[in-house]
Amino acid sequence: MPVRVEECSAPSQLSGNDAFSGHVLPPYTLLSVGRAFTGTQNVSSLQKDEAWRVNVRIQGCDLDQGYLCGTMEALNVPLADTPVVTFWEGEIIDAKNYTFYTGKWEATPDDDIKHWCKFPSFAPLLSQVETDGGKSLDLSNYPFIFMRWKEQYFVNVGIDCGLTIAGFYYVCFSCSDGSINGFYYDPNSSPFQKLELKSANEGHNGFTFSSYQLQ
Amino acid sequence: MPASAVSNRPEDVTERLGASVAARDGETLLKALREVKNQIIGNKTKKLLYIHLGAVPKIVAVISAAASGNGGYGEASVVVQAAAAIGSFACGVEDGVHAVLAAGAVPHLIQILSYSNGKVVNAGARTLRIIFQSKLAPKYDVLQVKNMKFLLSLLNSHNENLNELAARIIAHSCDKYEEQKVLCDAGVLKRLVELLDAASNQRDAYIDSVVAVVKNNSEVTEYFLSIGNGRAWSSLIEIMHDRNPQTRYLACVCLVAIGKASCWNSKELQTKTKLMLVLVELLEEPSQAGDEASFALSDLLADKEELHKQAISINVVEKLCKFLESSLPARRLEGILLVLAEICSKLETGRYLLLSLQVLNHIAEALKHECAEVRIAACLCIRNISRSIKNLSAGCMSNETVLVPLVRLLHDPSTYVQDAALGAVCNLAVDFTFKKPALMKYGGVSQLIQLSKSMDSTIRLKSLWALRNLTFVADRIGKEFIASELTVFALASLICDPEFLIQEQAMALICNLIHGCADFIKLVFAEECLIMNAVTRQLKSDSATQVCVQGMLLLCNVAAGDQSHKEAVLSCIIPSEANGTAVSFILRFMRNKDHFLRTASVWCILNLTIRDGANSPSRVRRLQNAGIVSQIKSMVNDPWLDCKFRVRTVLEQCSIVDSTST
Repeated sequence: MPVRVEECSAPSQLSGNDAFSGHVLPPYTLLSVGRAFTGTQNVSSLQKDEAWRVNVRIQGCDLDQGYLCGTMEALNVPLADTPVVTFWEGEIIDAKNYTFYTGKWEATPDDDIKHWCKFPSFAPLLSQVETDGGKSLDLSNYPFIFMRWKEQYFVNVGIDCGLTIAGFYYVCFSCSDGSINGFYYDPNSSPFQKLELKSANEGHNGFTFSSYQLQ
Repeated sequence: MPASAVSNRPEDVTERLGASVAARDGETLLKALREVKNQIIGNKTKKLLYIHLGAVPKIVAVISAAASGNGGYGEASVVVQAAAAIGSFACGVEDGVHAVLAAGAVPHLIQILSYSNGKVVNAGARTLRIIFQSKLAPKYDVLQVKNMKFLLSLLNSHNENLNELAARIIAHSCDKYEEQKVLCDAGVLKRLVELLDAASNQRDAYIDSVVAVVKNNSEVTEYFLSIGNGRAWSSLIEIMHDRNPQTRYLACVCLVAIGKASCWNSKELQTKTKLMLVLVELLEEPSQAGDEASFALSDLLADKEELHKQAISINVVEKLCKFLESSLPARRLEGILLVLAEICSKLETGRYLLLSLQVLNHIAEALKHECAEVRIAACLCIRNISRSIKNLSAGCMSNETVLVPLVRLLHDPSTYVQDAALGAVCNLAVDFTFKKPALMKYGGVSQLIQLSKSMDSTIRLKSLWALRNLTFVADRIGKEFIASELTVFALASLICDPEFLIQEQAMALICNLIHGCADFIKLVFAEECLIMNAVTRQLKSDSATQVCVQGMLLLCNVAAGDQSHKEAVLSCIIPSEANGTAVSFILRFMRNKDHFLRTASVWCILNLTIRDGANSPSRVRRLQNAGIVSQIKSMVNDPWLDCKFRVRTVLEQCSIVDSTST
């Protein structure tokens, strides 16, 4: 989700992720393509309390490459006439493709640890992460998935919309209930803006699934 | 007194040929043969005319008589001229090769190779070489001992023409594992390496021959690499820089074939980089080597992500795209598009680079090319560029320039083109930009629906696949159009298609229709539950696991509907009393070793046990009575994490219902 421009934003970095084919049923069904999430992002500052409603939809998922992507829609952005939609790409911390240390986007190892520690589910992993960045951890059976989501571009508004997507999110997904918590990090924005999302059933009386496969 | 001039009309010359053969008049025959040879050199019309007049069998008879030692027609020069004339007929004209083969020339030509006269031998060898360069020539069975002996005698001869002939025969005839092995064991590779080392005009034939013997055969390739401690490999690396473009090209082809058969190791990146550079440079050549170089490059890059990265880093994409700006012969354009398709097949960086070079219009233009192979290559290129969700989300590909010609190709008379176009459409159909109606606007959806009824199962599968992708997170209007055009009858019949991949796609399509649009569930119950019954039938029969997974997801989506929908799913998964002891398919699925099938089944039960009204306790009771709840209890520590969590949710929901209903 974009935040207001406070200072000059850093240029968006392009990632080089590989092809993926949208499996019918991935290992974490609540994080499968097509699934939607709704919730809020707290954008409060010292001056005032504020939260924007947020919708997220997963559009692509390739666990082999530690890749996830989708869109994020911010609904009641004060400066925008319409909901603002951004496309984001995610790095899944799997100790194979990505570790807990970001190494880019102006995030220092200290920033990383500070943000990951905001998730209670990270506590059991802390000491190992401090030792080797978590490279020796087996996260394949861990009930939480840690990710970084980086917005890449605005889908429905121009870059001159007065908003920035310079930062990125530290994200934690709960495999049991499909909830997502995150913290936005951008040295030029309010710290620790909290993202809280819940799996949405979009008018159904239960969970539904959709899928595509690329050729 | 003036003598009458001899007519050189083909009819007369042919007649003289026949007459002089019959009269055993060597001098006239020699003149006639010379005349034929001189008239047909480089003249296709004349060749065809002489073939029509029946000259070829008459000339072959001359060789045959000489080969049989039946007296012949005098001087060796007659045989030399006859052989040369036959060679000329077979050169560059398929009808000529046909005529020469039909007249039975090959065995006679082989026989004259054992002549003591060097000129006769050379003439025979040259003609046979021409014949064996044609695809129409018969395969020479190297598995026969006498044939192998003969080949070795040619290869080990001191006559370069015979060496070259042997190489041509091998290149033409060897394409099976056993043939490669036999040739290798007989010492052919060793001899070819010796011949390669001695620079000669015949080198191209030797390289071609090595390719035939090593291609896709790791055992033979390993042996080849061991000859002279890797001397062969070093020779080829040197030849890769030969001044002759054709020789450079062949050396590259050979190195690619060896590399692929011996599983390149990462240390050879430098060689592979050189190969790429030489092949890209060859594209500048106007000759056949320039036309073919891109195919060798595409072969080198095939499925090698590491090489795709390397190709990008040495600016191969930029160089190839430069060629696209000019008008290219079809073969060359096809090859270049195939290389670009390969580089975009795996890496997002390749796709991004190609789009940034703004050549999409040229690629889209190639979709309209008169040559089917070019159209196919352009489709592959677009398919691979659109493997990027990022590009699809940005709507880079969903424009008129790409979609209009692509939709037109869905009507292409060639099934191969249709198939390739469907591949591209499948990916473009996954469009997140709310531009999905674009495909509809250009008539793509109606044609996909037509193709989903094709007799060709691949076309049926791919068109349905595209429709499934099109319905992924689509808007209501698009879904309604597809559902009404496709019809419930067609969907039910596709669910029961003989091909399980089609069954799976049909079920996935219905899942997508329902997801986000709850009222589409009614589709499943339309026409007296046609779809529901078809799905149930497939689940009850021994369908492929992936069909069962998709079928259970479909039931799960239906079970996310209202009370009546949940009731219908419940009736489907619990056998009626009339069925007596029949075990419910869902119990089998939950005990299956496939964790996706277990998970999909538990999801379905999870939706059925959601507390949503007065009927939920009764549903839970029925699930308990059918043994489904106790099965789920036994899965509380399922090794598949996702399944375990759903099991726990189901048990929580059941216990809540239990406690509130008692």
